[in-house]
Amino acid sequence: MKIIVPIKQILDPRGITVRRDKERIFVNREEYVLEPGSKAAIEAALRLKDAEPAEVVALSVGKPQAEDALREALAMGCDGAYLLSDRAFEDACVSAVAKILAAAIDKLGGADLVVAGRESGDTGAGQIGPRLAEALGYTQVTDAYALAAEDGMLQAIRRWGNGYATVQASLPVVVTVAARAFPARYPHGARIMNAYREWDVIIWDATHLGLDDADLSPLITLRRESFPAPLPVGERVRGEPTSVAEEVVMSLRLQRLID
Amino acid sequence: MDFSYLDDWMEEEAGLEPVDEAGEGYRNVWVAAEAAQGILLPATLQTMGQARDLADQIGVYVYGVLLGEEVRDLGESLFAYGADKVLVAEDPALAEYQPEVYARIYGDLVEQHRPEILLVPATCLGNDLAPRLAQRLNTGLISHCIRLEVDLSERLLLGTFPVLGGEVYHTAACPQARPQMATLEPDRFRAPYPDAYRSGTATMVDLSLTENSSGLTWTMSEAALPEGGRAFVSPAVDMSQARVVVSAGRGMGDADGFALVKQLAQALDGEIAGSRGAYDEGWIAEEQIVGVGGAFIAPDLYIACGISGDVYHYFGLQEAKFVVAINSDEKAPIMKLANIAVVGDACQVIPAMLEALRQ
Repeated sequence: MKIIVPIKQILDPRGITVRRDKERIFVNREEYVLEPGSKAAIEAALRLKDAEPAEVVALSVGKPQAEDALREALAMGCDGAYLLSDRAFEDACVSAVAKILAAAIDKLGGADLVVAGRESGDTGAGQIGPRLAEALGYTQVTDAYALAAEDGMLQAIRRWGNGYATVQASLPVVVTVAARAFPARYPHGARIMNAYREWDVIIWDATHLGLDDADLSPLITLRRESFPAPLPVGERVRGEPTSVAEEVVMSLRLQRLID
Repeated sequence: MDFSYLDDWMEEEAGLEPVDEAGEGYRNVWVAAEAAQGILLPATLQTMGQARDLADQIGVYVYGVLLGEEVRDLGESLFAYGADKVLVAEDPALAEYQPEVYARIYGDLVEQHRPEILLVPATCLGNDLAPRLAQRLNTGLISHCIRLEVDLSERLLLGTFPVLGGEVYHTAACPQARPQMATLEPDRFRAPYPDAYRSGTATMVDLSLTENSSGLTWTMSEAALPEGGRAFVSPAVDMSQARVVVSAGRGMGDADGFALVKQLAQALDGEIAGSRGAYDEGWIAEEQIVGVGGAFIAPDLYIACGISGDVYHYFGLQEAKFVVAINSDEKAPIMKLANIAVVGDACQVIPAMLEALRQ
């Protein structure tokens, strides 16, 4: 079975502080990490590989530094890694990224299963899975919490309405996984060494993929950035539990919030 | 005189492509309606309300579109919620959601009727369908909007959605491609009151569905649980409608501490909720989690007991009218944003509050 995992590298959200009162975003530490949803997708693919023989290939559309994310994927257990990087890809929006990934997957000879994160940690739009499925012409299962693949069928438990549903689909399928359901494994030390010393990340650009600029023009433009209202500052109450409780109950009663 | 230059100029003029203005020929606001178990979902009604507002601003009609098996009556009830026209596609094959079939039907309908704006509620189905449909139509999609407006000078839909865990809002537009698509976060918009005087007849869509072999097979069952997952119990009261919510966090310590929170909720006739920590402890069910990835609530009174209140939690209760926080840590983030911040051990303060409530 051939499993392809599109992954993404993002600016580490832990290095970002948002000041609502100053209406600014401060990047304290510019560090790029493998996005947690992508990590979960790699983990989901590797669990399928543990169950039955499979080839897991990681793909990423990004700047040259995304190579680190792909090496992390190799260290975790992926068998191959491809970086799709080109100046023309830099302002690609999600529909263009889907086209780029689809072109790369076609060039790799298609896949039985494409496993992606449900939504990324930065924008959280959650569009790439279904868009990629459409671009490839595969069927799709989103928001999966458990996966099993056998006899050319994928079985998934997914979130649906107010509960979960079991979904069966014949391969090829694009599936997106919930990050919470697949906590990622730690890579083996030797694999981390090999990921940097032995194994290669193959880099493809627009000409390799046969894409031209018309495919890549962004459809969505950002109009403005705004900030939620600064948090209100309330009243502090402290002291003996009984007196505090009476004070709180009294003030809630005065405001007619409780009877 | 030699006027041949005019001929050249005229030829050139005739050869010019007509200016294809963005949005030319695209009209009306569409809502992809969704029904389950014989009712229209609340998220669909909320989306209808937004569609009506937008359509009134730009002077076009609202279309409701509903796919399913025997959904004509439900489709016609969309008129009461503001639809001017309703398209219904009925087929036994549409009883269960099939991404490819749904995307194809919507895609064909859009190409035929050319709507200007297509709104989809961001439910499980909407989140699955909308991006696929957008890719099919080669158009942009603004996901998880919490506010919609129209830029009247350019006749553009502007959608505002949270990024970075709700700390920043981005407002985006889709200037060139049509239709302009957006998904609307559930429970962030008000559902309109049904107007019983509005009614109409749904237009049935002629489907020529071919055998779909690659479709998904759905099994809805209680047993369908991910390994280690917990049974999903429908809440007695919809959390988003609760008036008083008492919420527990890890700071309650153990199950005994959580029992106090339960008692307080009972005494105040409120609902029990909690942070993700409380869920991890096994005190509450998944749908009782407040915050990003959980419930968005707008109660009159929210009491947070032993919750530190990171941004993910706070994002779920931004609409709460009055917040009381009880926490022993004076520096916890929730203490800054509560209307009343009680510094103290919740396990001691709650029994005292129960006592004070009895008086």
